[in-house]
Amino acid sequence: MSIITGFTEPTQGKVEINGYNVSKKAKKAKREIGYMPETTPLYNELTPKEFIQYMAELKGVPRKTRKQEIERVMQAVNIADVKNRLIRNLSRGYKQRVSLAGALVGNPKVLILDEPTVGLDPKQVTQIRDLIKSLGKNHTVLLSSHILSEVSQICKKVIIINKGKLIAVDSPKNLENKTEKENILLVTVEDSENKIEDVAKRIKDINKIKLVKTLSDGTKQYSISSKDDTDIRKEIFSTFAKNEITIFELKKAEASLEDAFLDLINNQQEEPEKTKEEIKQEKKENKEKQKKEKQDKKAEKIKKNEEQKSKKTEKNKKKGGDK
Amino acid sequence: MWAIIKKEVKTYFFSPIGYVFIGSFLLMSSFFFYQYIFAYGYIEYSYLFYYTSELLTFTVALLTMGMFSSERKNGTETLLLTSPRSIISIVMGKFLAALIVILITEVFSLIYYVIICIFAGGITGLTVTLSTLLGFVLLTMSYIAFGMFISSLTENQIIAGVVTIILLLASWFLPDMSSAFNVISPLYQFQKFPEGIFPINETITLLTQTALFILLTIVVLQRRKNLK
Repeated sequence: MSIITGFTEPTQGKVEINGYNVSKKAKKAKREIGYMPETTPLYNELTPKEFIQYMAELKGVPRKTRKQEIERVMQAVNIADVKNRLIRNLSRGYKQRVSLAGALVGNPKVLILDEPTVGLDPKQVTQIRDLIKSLGKNHTVLLSSHILSEVSQICKKVIIINKGKLIAVDSPKNLENKTEKENILLVTVEDSENKIEDVAKRIKDINKIKLVKTLSDGTKQYSISSKDDTDIRKEIFSTFAKNEITIFELKKAEASLEDAFLDLINNQQEEPEKTKEEIKQEKKENKEKQKKEKQDKKAEKIKKNEEQKSKKTEKNKKKGGDK
Repeated sequence: MWAIIKKEVKTYFFSPIGYVFIGSFLLMSSFFFYQYIFAYGYIEYSYLFYYTSELLTFTVALLTMGMFSSERKNGTETLLLTSPRSIISIVMGKFLAALIVILITEVFSLIYYVIICIFAGGITGLTVTLSTLLGFVLLTMSYIAFGMFISSLTENQIIAGVVTIILLLASWFLPDMSSAFNVISPLYQFQKFPEGIFPINETITLLTQTALFILLTIVVLQRRKNLK
């Protein structure tokens, strides 16, 4: 993210924003971006109004429209009621919104938001999410987040990057669907005689039945997996009822984006980890080789030295003898 | 650049730093002024600057220590570097903001000149005064550039401040050890100005020092961008 915003220079590759290369045409590229960093850095000694004004000036908002622009942004993020208080004294939620306002000012085409809802209370979180959604209508919003439920709520496209490698680019729904290989139902039943497994065998389409947990009121929760594209809820209901198993709850377990994420990461991790180990081993081997070589050289040197010494002593002896 | 100057000057006066700087500076120079006139009987404005320039060695760090270090610590550096402003204009903006604060102080210190003129019954020693003031501006420029450079090296304000003071002190005393150090001592260069002759060599030396450290600051910031 800091490479995209031009905060750090890339070592490889390039970033283009609306056709402007960030490292070569920095000024023009940066004008297209509104960036809200994760740590929401702000000048504590300024008021929100002054801060936004400063950001507007930095971004080169023309003087004529500056006042209007500042007002517009403050209304958009709803901070007009605290605009003259010092940022130092504002709550986390307000600070977050001031930071967002700073990113919004100047109406940039691309908004880059780094974890915009971290550390907010639930009400503020929904407010900010709604705001981001509405911003998405007029801006391209690039949002980074660890809260995947948030991502599946707000975003239209998800990019998953693991250890600097691109794993997936898709819509959240597609990603969720990909991991949904079979139907899983969650059933909570009262089954004092423990005959559920026998009963379940009678239903053709059930692949597997597994006890998830026993609840405190004596009921048990099972997960039942069946083949794809078959809905066995009706059948379960009727056969369980006939066999005097009372169903308390019956629901379909949906694959979330989190499952998709874990799936993708796990699939990808196996390979690089192996290579890493290999690299480590190679390094070790190399080191050992080098050590050996060094030791050999040392030994050789010592040998040579000793030989020379012995030669010298022999010579000396000879000299002594000559004398 | 103008936006940065404006904001920086504003923050100097929103935080106590600006007032502490101007206050302590004027307090001390008032004290020197009083001493000169009553204890030694020197009635000359430029003499005052021998002492105040030495005083500046200690106080300039107040203005420069937080320039880049506090931005880096608070993360607000990100805001500056991701804005469509070049590093050059960021550095120059901050440099000029600090210079403006010192110029404001200098304007205040003209009071002493007015007092002297009143008692002397007319304008006295104008050329010496002007040359001293010019020298003082050049000296502060060199000092600020140096302090700014130190501030860009660290994340810690205190370290930046202390290192700045120590190195400036060193540059003050080094010419006593060997004349070879004369060139690197801004204070030594300055002391030619109150003599009343406009010293071209010293002017150029001070300007070079200023340019050198501004350039080094820019290099430091640019390099950090590449090394992250």
